[in-house]
Amino acid sequence: MDQQTIQMIAEALKEEGIDLVVTMPEEPTQPLMEYLRNDPYFTTITVSAEGHGLAMCAGASLGGRKCVFVTGIAGLLVGSWALAQTGLLYGIPTLILASYRGDIGDRSGISGPQLFMFQQVAKPLLDALRVPYVVTDQKSALKRKIRDSFFACEQYETPIVMLLTGEVLW
Amino acid sequence: MVKRLDCLRLLASWMDEHMLTATSLSANYREWNAVWKNGANFYALNLGMCLPFAVGLSLAFPRRKVIALDSDGSLLLDTSSLVTAAAVNPGNLVAIVFDNGVYGRMGATATAHAADLEKIAQGAGIKSTATIRTLEEFERRVKAAMDGAELAFFVVKVEPGKERVDFDHRLTHGRAMKEAFVDAVRRHPDYRANEKKSS
Repeated sequence: MDQQTIQMIAEALKEEGIDLVVTMPEEPTQPLMEYLRNDPYFTTITVSAEGHGLAMCAGASLGGRKCVFVTGIAGLLVGSWALAQTGLLYGIPTLILASYRGDIGDRSGISGPQLFMFQQVAKPLLDALRVPYVVTDQKSALKRKIRDSFFACEQYETPIVMLLTGEVLW
Repeated sequence: MVKRLDCLRLLASWMDEHMLTATSLSANYREWNAVWKNGANFYALNLGMCLPFAVGLSLAFPRRKVIALDSDGSLLLDTSSLVTAAAVNPGNLVAIVFDNGVYGRMGATATAHAADLEKIAQGAGIKSTATIRTLEEFERRVKAAMDGAELAFFVVKVEPGKERVDFDHRLTHGRAMKEAFVDAVRRHPDYRANEKKSS
């Protein structure tokens, strides 16, 4: 993720008043988290497991604190229990930025079978959990899609995942 | 050991309508709803969800007390949430784990076995902790935490089993409960009080 993309994400989050950022550290989004951690506008929290990170976001979100969860496909897999609870069961709005690991173009160095596993499970997982997602691979559409996704997750009352890939991520 | 319901009655006597609570899916939600219905209460969070949900709530309402009413089986699903709670260190959060030693609906199925939940919390970095075995201890330790300003974590050893209580089933589960919670939150005087305006 390059500096221009990082700044676009930070600007879009600020424009929506999103100031709480929760993440489980993950390589492709690490530069984004480093940037947000150094910006006093944001409160950034690193969790030790995605499930409780999503539960934390759910509590904050229902309490009126605007937040975003930053993760990857592995994080969505690990957090699927929490997503089923907060999404299907309760309908709690949560914006999730997820690096689309395994998508065609992922040359980040993880092994081929792992890449393929992520590619195979990502969308079916979200479909099974009834979590809407939007693939975001163009920088020119990034800010608009963040704004639209945040608006939609509050209106639909559901988590929404932005799958970051293409020139946005690699 | 104490009765959970006796502890919850005491806790309810210290509450005000601006405090917020979250409970796990155990006898906690039935008995808490039977003794306290005011303000914003999110009931019956499934395994592993209660403590971190309450941490999130404490970040949304930093000037109000948030109380997590968790249970041993629920906490054990994700004890790493204690590490995160300690790192966030919300001074307005009181976490109470009612520990009956068994998974509630499966008879004598042990939860923590030989593990000590208080020591796990201490090891995670939470400084104010206690294991409570009497009502007097509960009154002294938990009341002090309710009046204090630091993250507190209590394991309360309770008798297994459920009390017969009068509770509202519809408003302790699912979407109806969530909507009631959201209504209460939005009426709260601190709702989005610290919201940062768009830049």
